[in-house]
Amino acid sequence: MVKPTLVTNSIRSLRFASGEMTQADLADRVGVTRQTIIAIEQGKYSPSLEVAFQIARVFRVPLDEVFQYPERQT
Amino acid sequence: MAFLEKSNWVALVVAVPTLLIYAVLVVPQVLSKPIAEVSWVQPMIFTIVGFIVANVLGNVVAAALNPAEAPKKDQRDTEIDHFGERVGNWLIIAGSCTALVLAMAMADQFWIANAIFLGGLAGALVSSITKIAAYHGPFQTW
Repeated sequence: MVKPTLVTNSIRSLRFASGEMTQADLADRVGVTRQTIIAIEQGKYSPSLEVAFQIARVFRVPLDEVFQYPERQT
Repeated sequence: MAFLEKSNWVALVVAVPTLLIYAVLVVPQVLSKPIAEVSWVQPMIFTIVGFIVANVLGNVVAAALNPAEAPKKDQRDTEIDHFGERVGNWLIIAGSCTALVLAMAMADQFWIANAIFLGGLAGALVSSITKIAAYHGPFQTW
């Protein structure tokens, strides 16, 4: 029905590197629900650019340290 | 579970018995007497009102059980909601088009009303199932 996203992310490791920040904490700081953070983290949902930038800003890292996209589509 | 997902579970749980109750009230009549004599208006009004009231009550209970979660709605919720509505709308349109054809063919008003009713109910059911599936599987709008 819906093709899976090719976008991968490092949110889980960034959360742990940020003092084991919980998904709920991240959700509150970004302004989305915890379920949305879980879906993004599991690669089930690609957020908008705005939410992606907000997540990167929480971790104080550039966007491409949070989200990655493969060089060539197979 | 996001509140909107709960809300869709409520719609699903309410729509199935609604359809069954209507079927139990009307189908035996359709099988046993001429269509013109079938009493369908009251059962239809009863099930439509029952569906709406049960939906509202279900949502109130779901919100009361977790008041902090209820007002939260983000971009993903909105996208899933729109996606599910678009899918469900196809069935509502199919029901309406069927009713239009039946009206052109001078069919009994029983068939015209039921085509619209069943299209609407099937649309609500499929819309809820689509949204719940979107909450659990991969979902993106592009």
